[in-house]
Amino acid sequence: MNQEDLDRMFSRQENIVPSSGFVGGVMNAIECEASTPPPIPFPWKRALPGFVAWLIALVSFVYLAFAHFDASSTRLALARTAPMLAAIIDGLKAVDGAWIAVALLVSAASVFFSMRMVGARL
Amino acid sequence: MGARDDEADVERVLAGELGAFEHIVRRWQGPLVNLAFRFCHDRSRAEDMAQEAFLRAWRALSQWRKDAAFSTWLFALATNLYRSELRRIPANTVALEDIAEPRASATRSLEEQDRDRALKRAILGLPPKYRDALIVFYFHSQDIPSAARSLGVPEGTLKARLSRGRDILRNKLQTLLAKPGAKEAP
Repeated sequence: MNQEDLDRMFSRQENIVPSSGFVGGVMNAIECEASTPPPIPFPWKRALPGFVAWLIALVSFVYLAFAHFDASSTRLALARTAPMLAAIIDGLKAVDGAWIAVALLVSAASVFFSMRMVGARL
Repeated sequence: MGARDDEADVERVLAGELGAFEHIVRRWQGPLVNLAFRFCHDRSRAEDMAQEAFLRAWRALSQWRKDAAFSTWLFALATNLYRSELRRIPANTVALEDIAEPRASATRSLEEQDRDRALKRAILGLPPKYRDALIVFYFHSQDIPSAARSLGVPEGTLKARLSRGRDILRNKLQTLLAKPGAKEAP
């Protein structure tokens, strides 16, 4: 079987004729979509200060927790008020948790921005 | 003339005259439905896919920059959509015995019909990048530049995929046509 045989077989593929209601169906779908109000976009501009504040608070918390956790008064106070949190910070310190937290933040940010870019193209 | 009609209709649609899009649909329904049919070999699904392609074209009409013909832009959009649809729900989930011949022709020999059936089966079994290259290339009447634009790949890449795809297809077809049961359902 050579290329000419393949070309011949492909050229024999038959065409179909769209059904009579096809144009009507497409136009109905378009008119339906045109008549519905556009979805309300997420207010990114308004929400941005909140996101930035949240991010700063998170980073500050992680930084402060790791920078001052060795101080015995802080450790004691935290162990009394939130023993589970103290245990978590201890565990994170043992495995260089700050870097894990930074890596997670960077990953989350990259996923978030790439999804936004893809969403904008669709 | 067609290209100018397309441009005029697009401008009317963008100016708010929704009815002008119907002219575009009427002009391109045949090619878009047939391109979809080559991908899925299912008439009803082909119409659904083509309808979605028109809907997306309508939504993205303002993004057509007129640096290429409207048809080029439309085919690229449709090809992209059809490929995504096939990734989502592969065509070979449809039983091949259910693939109806679009027009059963008494004039075509049984051998030709068997070969066509084997060809459909072999195409559906190809890796997607070779399958898409072959489908779009033959749909565009073997025009490399048009097919490359529709697929959004350089012409050299398309030629390489066509060559490799033909090799795989040739081997598959020889096997399928050699099998005594190949003429029956898989």
